[in-house]
Parts: sequence; structure tokens; C-alpha cells
Amino acid sequence: MNQNPILSLHPLTKFYFALFITVSVIIVPNYIFAYAWFPVLMIIAAVAKVAKPFISFILKTLMILLVIVFLMQLFFYPGEDVIGSWWIFDLTHEGLMHGLSLTSRILAIGSAFILFFRIVDVKDFVKALEDIGMPPTGAYIVLSTLQIIPEMRRQSNTIMEAQKTRGVETDGSLIVRAKAFFPTLTPLILSSIASTEERAITLESRAFSAPGKKTSLHKLTKRPIDRVLPWVYIGIIIGLIIWRVFL
Amino acid sequence: MLKKIKADFNLLAVLLIPIGIAVNFVGFQVAQILRLPIFLDTIGTILIGVIAGPWVALVAALITNSITAIFNPVYFPYVVTSMAIGVGAGLLSKYGMLSNIFKTIISGLVITAIAVVVSSPITVLFFGGATGNTSSAITATFLAMGQNIWGAVFSSAIITEIADKVVSVLLVYFVVKSISDRYLSKMKYGHLYMKKKNTKNSKKNDQAS
Repeated sequence: MNQNPILSLHPLTKFYFALFITVSVIIVPNYIFAYAWFPVLMIIAAVAKVAKPFISFILKTLMILLVIVFLMQLFFYPGEDVIGSWWIFDLTHEGLMHGLSLTSRILAIGSAFILFFRIVDVKDFVKALEDIGMPPTGAYIVLSTLQIIPEMRRQSNTIMEAQKTRGVETDGSLIVRAKAFFPTLTPLILSSIASTEERAITLESRAFSAPGKKTSLHKLTKRPIDRVLPWVYIGIIIGLIIWRVFL
Repeated sequence: MLKKIKADFNLLAVLLIPIGIAVNFVGFQVAQILRLPIFLDTIGTILIGVIAGPWVALVAALITNSITAIFNPVYFPYVVTSMAIGVGAGLLSKYGMLSNIFKTIISGLVITAIAVVVSSPITVLFFGGATGNTSSAITATFLAMGQNIWGAVFSSAIITEIADKVVSVLLVYFVVKSISDRYLSKMKYGHLYMKKKNTKNSKKNDQAS
């Protein structure tokens, strides 16, 4: 059993935490509040010992987006209060504020879910969803998809190489390259579709669609903290709503 | 209604979902390798919609975007777009809009319209108009020319989506044409695309025997 205080939490507790951050930054309009979530998430990542992949992931996926979103707002958001100008563009105070609030929310919500997928195993999460009522077929679809994607990627490379030897050109003008798309994808789709019939027979021989309760080898346990924490989130959210509406 | 939807999810349709999702990913990957300026990342969803119906496509779209979210959660709001494309493809197929190449191109334009109408509000409301891909540069150009944000996002979305969706739908049309009758006969809308045209009689014969 994992002894790490973060990693050993129930997957749903972690998922509700990401949802909790999402809802909280929607309720509270202040951008400082939304930006403040980021150090909190960093601390959680550090405790869970995933700080390094967490940060490199954010640098790779979120940074460019945030910069572009921010600049777009700064230059193009309609406003009256001009605070500076660059080339043909006017920078407005409204644009700056809108840029800050938009990027702060994207950063908070985006990094919350990036962290969620660093600290949870997809298999555990799917099992947790199954426990709260997702049909087992759904769990099968998700997990088998994760297996099939790398398999089909390899297959597409093989097909592409094979088509190249036949004389299908993959370099050259846009039209030439676009033409290579069809002979690569069509055989891949057709062969994959044909394979589903075999898979259906295999699954049926193991009573896949037989009615009745399914048992699972993979079990998740809920500890007292996993029962308490979701209520804490709900409590804070209600508190924030009251604060927003009445104060 | 619910029972009807459940009937769409027979075992072969369920097994088609992972294939369709993987086609979404691989289509995108091959488009990248060939350095095509379009994404081609909804081919699987459209294919499922065309042969297995709108509801199966809806589920496939939901799972596709959930899996993308594992790698980059920021674009998850676009799940609504993918689901609309899946349902749209299913309904177009139901009304025979993929029966010949001319109708298929019309269907491609209809799906483009769906994609633009559903994704533009997401782009504006969640990301303020730019998401950092090629269409952002076009959006910025329109904005610099003095268009308002909605006009700019709509126009740039139409420009980037139209080739993407028409090519995707055409590819699906050709793929479906090459799928065997044996397989098509087990799919919801498969009978629309079978090569043997006396399907009604053969169905009766099947039931009789």
C-alpha cells in the first residue's frame, strides 16, 4: 500500500478537488485568488513527489497558450482607458484586467487537472467511476482504447512505410502530401474494423454481455479522510457563494 | 427512447468505439507527419456516427476528449464540439446524406457549420479568442483589421474548419464504401451503404430461415 499522504487518497477525492478548484475560481472573480491556487498545487505536487513532471508538463502545454491569450486580450480587448501603445496597437487597462483574469482561471483549472492526472492512475479512476455507477462496458471502452491507440499508431507507421515502397509519395507539395493521407488511413481503418469481429467473439466467450453483477479483481478502498474531504470542499464552496452573494 | 438508445450499443458498436477513438488520434498524427495544415482529428467520430448512429458517436466523442484531457486538459471544453459533430454525422447518415459524393460534400459543409457554431463561443468565452493554433494568427489578423471578436473568431474558424471537415467526411465516405456487407449488416445504418441492393428481401429471408 502506498504511504504517500496525497497518492494514497481515493481517486474521486482527488477528482473532486480539481472540480472544487474549478468551481471556486468561477465564483471568485479576483485574479489574485485564482493565481494563488498555483503555489498551492505546486506544494501538493511536491508532497506527492511529482513536482518535476508537473512543472515540465505545464511549461510544455500551458505556457504558450497563456502568453497568447494574455497578449490577445492586451492588444484587442475593447476598452477606453489607454495605458500605453505599441506599433499600431493601443494597450488598455480593461484588456490588461481581462487578460489577467482569463489567464489566471486557465492556469488554475488547467494545472489542477494536469496535477490530477499526474497523481492518479487512469485505471484507478475508471474503477472509481464504475463504483459510482458508470456501466462496466464504459470502463472496458476507456481501458481498451488506451491500449489500442499505441497499437494503431505503430500500425499506421507500418502502412505508411509499405505505401512508400509502392510508390506513394509522402514528400513534396501540399497536394502530394494530402494525397498520401488516404492510402495510409483507409487500410488502417478497414483492418481495425475487421479485427473487432474477432474481439467480439473472444469477449462473448467470456460472457462479456451476460446479465448479472460483475466482480472485479481490482478493488479501491475509501478511508475516513476520503469521506470527510468532499464535504469540506462543498462547505467551502457554499461559504464562497454566500460571501459573493451577500457581501 | 432510452431503450432505443441502449439498443444502439450492441457489442459490435461498443467495440467500434475504441477503434474510432484511435482513428481520431492516428488521423491527427498522420496529418502531422505529412505536415498538412489541418487537424483531421474527428474522422473516427464521424465514421462511428455514420455507421453506428448519433448516440454511439456522442459517447466516442466524449471519451476521445477525455483521453486528450489526460495529456492536455485545457482543451477539454471542446468536447461539446466533438459531440455535436458526432451527432450531426449520425443524423446526416440517417437521412441518406452520405449516399453519393455530391451529398457527402454537402454533409461536410453542414458538419463544418456545426463545428464553427459550437466551437466559436467556446473559443471566445474560455480563451478570449485565441488558443495558440494556426487559426489564432488568422483571428489576430481579422482583429487588427478592425473586426470585433465574434466576427474574427467565426471567420477564422470557418477558414480552418472547412477543409478539415470536408476531407474528413470524404474519407469516411470512401472507407464506408469499402467496408464488407457482412460487417455493415450488423451496424445501425449499415444497410444504407451495403452493395447488395435487395437488402429488404434478404432481411426477410434471414428472419424466415
